[in-house]
Amino acid sequence: MSDRDPGAEPIVVGADAPAWRHRHLLDVDVLAADEIDLVMRTADAMKGILARPIAKVPALRGRNVTIIFWEASTRTRVSFEVAAKNLSADVVNIAASTSSVTKGESLVDTIRTVQALGAQMLVMRHGTSGAPYLAAEHFDGHVLNGGDGWHAHPTQALLDLYTMRERLPGGSIAGRKVVILGDILHSRVARSNIWSLTAAGADLWLCGPSTLLRGLDRWGGRAAGFPGHGRFTVTSDVDAALRDADVVMALRIQKERMDSGLLPSLREYTARFGLTLDRLAAAKPDALVMHPGPMNEGVEIDPAVVALDRAVIEDQVTNGVAVRMALLYLLAGVHGAEGAHDAA
Amino acid sequence: MPREPRPSAKTGRRGGALQVGATLADLEISRAWLVDPFAGREGAGEIVVRDGEIAGVTWLTGAAAKGVDASGVIVAPGFLDLHVHLREPGFEDAETVATGLAAAAHGGFTRVCAMANTSPAIDGAAVVGLVRAAAAASGSPVALEIVGAVSAGRAGEKLAALGEMTDAGVVGFSDDGAPVKGPVLLAHALRYAGMLGRPIVEHAEDTALTSGAEANEGLVASVLGLRGWPAAAEEAVVARDLAILADVVRDVPGARLHLTHLSTAGALDLVRRAKAAGLPVTCDVTPHHLALADEWIAGARRWAWEAVDGAGARRDPVGAGAPVARDPWTDAAIVAEPFDPDLRVNPPLRDPADAAAVRAALRDGTADAVATDHAPHTLVDKEVEFGLAANGISGIETALGVLLAAVDAGELTLAAAMAALTSGPAGVLGAWTGRPVAAGLKVGAPADLVLFDRGESWTVTPASLRSKGKNTPLAGRALPGRVLLTVAAGRIAFSDLD
Amino acid sequence: MEYPRGAFKDRPREAGKEGPHRATRAGQAVSDGRRIMTADEVRRATVRIAHEIVEKQAGTEGLALVGIQRRGVPLARRLADAIAENEGVRLPAGALDITFYRDDLSLVAHQPVVKGTDLPFDLNGLTVVVVDDVLYTGRTIRAAMDALMDFGRPRAIRLAVLVDRGHRELPIRADHVGKNVPTSRDEIVKVLVEEIDGEDGVAIERLVAAHL
Repeated sequence: MSDRDPGAEPIVVGADAPAWRHRHLLDVDVLAADEIDLVMRTADAMKGILARPIAKVPALRGRNVTIIFWEASTRTRVSFEVAAKNLSADVVNIAASTSSVTKGESLVDTIRTVQALGAQMLVMRHGTSGAPYLAAEHFDGHVLNGGDGWHAHPTQALLDLYTMRERLPGGSIAGRKVVILGDILHSRVARSNIWSLTAAGADLWLCGPSTLLRGLDRWGGRAAGFPGHGRFTVTSDVDAALRDADVVMALRIQKERMDSGLLPSLREYTARFGLTLDRLAAAKPDALVMHPGPMNEGVEIDPAVVALDRAVIEDQVTNGVAVRMALLYLLAGVHGAEGAHDAA
Repeated sequence: MPREPRPSAKTGRRGGALQVGATLADLEISRAWLVDPFAGREGAGEIVVRDGEIAGVTWLTGAAAKGVDASGVIVAPGFLDLHVHLREPGFEDAETVATGLAAAAHGGFTRVCAMANTSPAIDGAAVVGLVRAAAAASGSPVALEIVGAVSAGRAGEKLAALGEMTDAGVVGFSDDGAPVKGPVLLAHALRYAGMLGRPIVEHAEDTALTSGAEANEGLVASVLGLRGWPAAAEEAVVARDLAILADVVRDVPGARLHLTHLSTAGALDLVRRAKAAGLPVTCDVTPHHLALADEWIAGARRWAWEAVDGAGARRDPVGAGAPVARDPWTDAAIVAEPFDPDLRVNPPLRDPADAAAVRAALRDGTADAVATDHAPHTLVDKEVEFGLAANGISGIETALGVLLAAVDAGELTLAAAMAALTSGPAGVLGAWTGRPVAAGLKVGAPADLVLFDRGESWTVTPASLRSKGKNTPLAGRALPGRVLLTVAAGRIAFSDLD
Repeated sequence: MEYPRGAFKDRPREAGKEGPHRATRAGQAVSDGRRIMTADEVRRATVRIAHEIVEKQAGTEGLALVGIQRRGVPLARRLADAIAENEGVRLPAGALDITFYRDDLSLVAHQPVVKGTDLPFDLNGLTVVVVDDVLYTGRTIRAAMDALMDFGRPRAIRLAVLVDRGHRELPIRADHVGKNVPTSRDEIVKVLVEEIDGEDGVAIERLVAAHL
């Protein structure tokens, strides 16, 4: 209700709009439902930008976004890089080797160094669960978790959610049966999706061999559930899991799992848990097929399934850029300590 | 608790500064609460020290005892810690014998048993001598006992110089930091040490089951994506060791096994049954395993006894009424950021039901003592990713406060808590060496006591810790029971009286 | 021993679980205002601007209207309506969200909520009249011009505003103004439009320091 020439007076956010107040995004467990909504709506706007002839806006012009991956990854790193560049940020890419850890170069030291080099937003991936929390404690800017150990992969969970909302009829996840199939134990994607999908009211099923579900039943079986979060079902019965599913998300199976004795062979995994057209027939006819990538086609997912129109794996990739743009943009607007502005 | 005037006791003395190392020439404590687990007695009383000896102990009764209770100044025998890491030689950046003994005195301890995982390991008389010399040079009156290594270089291959070290006065043998490697070596060690009249102190861990493990296997580890550290890794080794002990003790009656820092309900139950069967086994538990739980790693900061259902089940640690762990998410008990590396310890913090079993074991005598497993580390080793952080908690200065918190919560009686720090470990150490090590508050004995104000709390900060190791998850927390004076063998070890 | 920072500080958890909070005008509150344009005056000003636009551009050929979110959008639509009534020609009208083009990222406590851009026509070669409710420092218009350029190459950009309150910080002026209103910097000009606020009108309010 006022003139809003920028720079002259504070922004008035509509009374119906939640404000974003997280300085870092380390996991989705801290996001309230309306905050997730805000991410989704902001990602909508970013998709609008991606559709323009010039898919670039100056929102983060002059901002230094430093991307450090201690674990090799191409798709997530590039997705973040494209997202940051679409917002006109200056992107610095650092491939940190895990060997620097064994050489005694500490994470804290690295964080302080990139900060001294001008990093304002830090996108990081690390093989150790919880590493971004340590980074956030020592970094004055914003930390965005690009995946830590088995713990969390918040941007993946949000892009999965975005893709489901976009592609499910009615755009709602509440009451939909969502199945995550595969190596749950080692999956940060699954862990973050547990928070976001149960918060969205999905009927979530985690399915895989018992060795790759270790400990998850104790979580899923919580009677009361965590605050605002429903229960989920943990099973090794793939037919029960897939029956009438609305969404099936297959996870990558890594060869190391056999070396450590968790699986007899990939062949046996494929025979019992591989997502084939036959198995998928138990799901709803229009059930979405998803995969966070990278895929081992023919192992955890059959190429014929990937080829289906309702396999939205490429949408996940495109939406990943929009969601990461949205998160970079939202985080950049929060200054200083969390909630410091609330004093006003 | 009536706190004014502080304390109900009065201390008086003539001349002489309370300087560390000096003989306590003269001290009178009147109207304090005396706790003497050696005599099985507590009550209002007065104690007089002259020239380093206890010159008088008077138990007050009737009108004289009026107004004196256990909420103010308490006098107890000096504490004994069966398990500390002093890091010298080799890791003096984390702790030295001198700083470790100063920390012990600040915690109320007058005697500590140092573990052998130094560099070089304490695996022969020469290194024993080195450590003793460091203790002498420190000027601290705190008694330093040494636990030698079981295997040469703690490498788990062949026996260390057990006889030579016994002659040099070590009180037992342990490869702590790691288990005695393999059942064969353990059997040999039990036999040989049994011949020497010394125990094997076992760190019970199946390292194949804990390879890469980060946190207690359970809900918290599942949610946080930390590699699970199963209870079975501890219990399997305890069961195996007990079987070997039963075998060995038939031939070598002097063989003894001490299981240190037990942390699971199952392991303690195995010991409970072994003791009932008459096996020569003892065990200790740590303050952190009885008071903290794995949920702290997720960001909870409540005591373990606040995280269980079934308060009525306290007397029955394993039966149908056993306590049930609650989860911190449902309880909205998450108040701090997750993954604090200061919570990484070996064995890991277990779930609140295990912590309840640890307290139950102290109550029913299954656990003979509380030992701190004081494990100081440098910041470089601790301020790293959770899974890469060194294991251990700097705990000798917070042990009393943690136990008093358990007493305040009704989890332990004051007498039981004091016994766990005094007569309990003294009994164990006495059995290890065949000679008594402490006498309690006895007239004519060298004064070996601690004076603390239970009504006064103190806040754990880096500056408040005498240890070089600032790695405590209790940082920032107020603990009950401030130590005012520690006297070891008649000499002042720590004083905050002036 | 000196202990580096971070190691012992309390680590309050990100306060994300207590549910959302609502943004407020940081540090400021608004006193009751004084009305400077009535609904009727707003209507007359709109009609006059519509005439001026057509007169100045010598017709409606190659013209388009783009309202800046939010209150510029209904104003642009009204101008299009008025021109259609007078000239019998319906000009294309769109909405422009300048959120991502703001230059004050470091000044706002939170990112403004995106409202959306809708330009259902090709800008190339058109004369685009940007419509907003209030012209103040000029920074919004600067952002709007940047945003427009990303959609194409207009032949020219013109500016129409309901109120010009002065205090420009950039060399920008309006081609069409409903009313010039002298203000001080500690005042807020509030434009109400029926489509959003349920009534038409313009008021001036004084900012007062919040007692917080």
